[in-house]
Amino acid sequence: MRIDVSGLTKTYKGGARALDGLTLTVPTGMYGLLGSNGAGKTTFMRILAGLLRPTSGRVAIGGHDMATAEGRLAVQRTLGYLPQDLGVYPDLSARRFLDYIALLKGLHSRSARRRRIGELLEVVALSDVADRRLKGFSGGMLRRVGIAQALLADPRLLIVDEPTTGLDPEERIRFRTLLAQLAGDRTVLLSTHIVDDVAQTCRSLAVLAKGRLAFQGTVGDLVSHAYHRVWTVSTPGPAPVTGRVVSALPEGTGMRYRVVAAAPPDPRARPAEPTLEDGYLALMDG
Amino acid sequence: MIATLRYEFAMQVRRPSLWIVYALVFAVLIVALPFGSLDLNDYEGSVGRQAMSVAAQILVSLLPIVYGCMLADRPSRDRVLRVDGILDATPSGRTARLIGKYAGVCAATAVPFAVAYFGRALLYAVVEGQPSALGWAALTFLASIVPGLVFLGALAFAGPLLLPPMVFRVLFVAYWFWGNLIPAAMMPTLSHTIFSATGEYVRYGIVAPPPRAASGPARRPCSTSCARSRLRSPPGCGSA
Repeated sequence: MRIDVSGLTKTYKGGARALDGLTLTVPTGMYGLLGSNGAGKTTFMRILAGLLRPTSGRVAIGGHDMATAEGRLAVQRTLGYLPQDLGVYPDLSARRFLDYIALLKGLHSRSARRRRIGELLEVVALSDVADRRLKGFSGGMLRRVGIAQALLADPRLLIVDEPTTGLDPEERIRFRTLLAQLAGDRTVLLSTHIVDDVAQTCRSLAVLAKGRLAFQGTVGDLVSHAYHRVWTVSTPGPAPVTGRVVSALPEGTGMRYRVVAAAPPDPRARPAEPTLEDGYLALMDG
Repeated sequence: MIATLRYEFAMQVRRPSLWIVYALVFAVLIVALPFGSLDLNDYEGSVGRQAMSVAAQILVSLLPIVYGCMLADRPSRDRVLRVDGILDATPSGRTARLIGKYAGVCAATAVPFAVAYFGRALLYAVVEGQPSALGWAALTFLASIVPGLVFLGALAFAGPLLLPPMVFRVLFVAYWFWGNLIPAAMMPTLSHTIFSATGEYVRYGIVAPPPRAASGPARRPCSTSCARSRLRSPPGCGSA
């Protein structure tokens, strides 16, 4: 399900502009959306999910125009949405919560609903606690309930906003692997500020900065932004003053710094292989 | 809409605080008002229908306060719990969900009310050997109490959209005493007019007339214009 966005602008009351003329095409498959906090990712996701109306611009999802009520309804019938600030009813069990959302998504057959909920509880490894009240669930377990509800109606479009925030490393890896497996012939739009999540799951991505499109292309294209701009410096002294320090590791009596800079930041600097994170930082630093 | 009605009903009716608060206020009714022993000497006609009318009159003096207050946090609950994003992203319409929520939550909040009322009716029917009291109880509940609860439910859904739920609750309690309980002789009020949510107009009209010796609630209903003039000049029209 292809997403076509052109000239998308969203200005909130008070004049804060979250999106500023965003034009973007998202193909089928797993697609990453990177950006710092406040870059406009969540606003963009909420517009795609039909929760917010843009100030101007056009969004078409699978050919459906999101400016019309019919278009939004058609998209919402095929949409799975996991918001950044996921909330649940604490007094319901996971199974009952999923049953309620399934009903709202139009799964009216009780037997089909039960079967689907059972399958998804297995997928997210929550079968054992399915009848426990959600108020006793950890953050990771709630995230898994969130992904289960997003998958209830077998969506063609899956929008997940900062899904791994607050998860422990093991949960995070399991979660992003699950998302990648789900992609297949679906469109999975993964919004995050954790570069590694995109590096491990997406072939294509876009980068937002201050509501504008800063980059659109493959992971390799973004990494190439940092070619000949990544350096390691081992020094007993202070960190290099030029460039952006990506990491600092204690090494013997000194430190080894990884730096993104246009020129060697220190006479002792050695070139290093860039990663997606380096490419992202190089892009952001211009 | 049906799904929302079903789940909102289930979540509200299983809320422990709903039953606890109702039980506390019900205890006050039993101790302070003659809910347990109905003195029917002043009534005419069928004793069973009079008994159910008086039982309703006593219940609606305080229980609607619990009803309104327990509803007040429900309209904003989805937003407070941050479930609204997930719900709004489903193809179910907002209006349908709102109607379902209103119907489900109002019905659930009325359950303890109905249990108290029909429990009393059942007790009366068994002890006094008057099974017809159950029929009168059903008529009184549907015709006199339910319309008031429907109105109060709408008020409790709309009010918290404009005010924080706690502020609304305080104002709601004030409204209940002012608009439904305080005698018109004290101050301009909606009490004992057609605008009162206690349902006494219907009760006195189709279930049982007021007791002969009663004061306040026994004042015969006049008209909308009379009620309006009563608001302007309380001592005058009140004795109609």
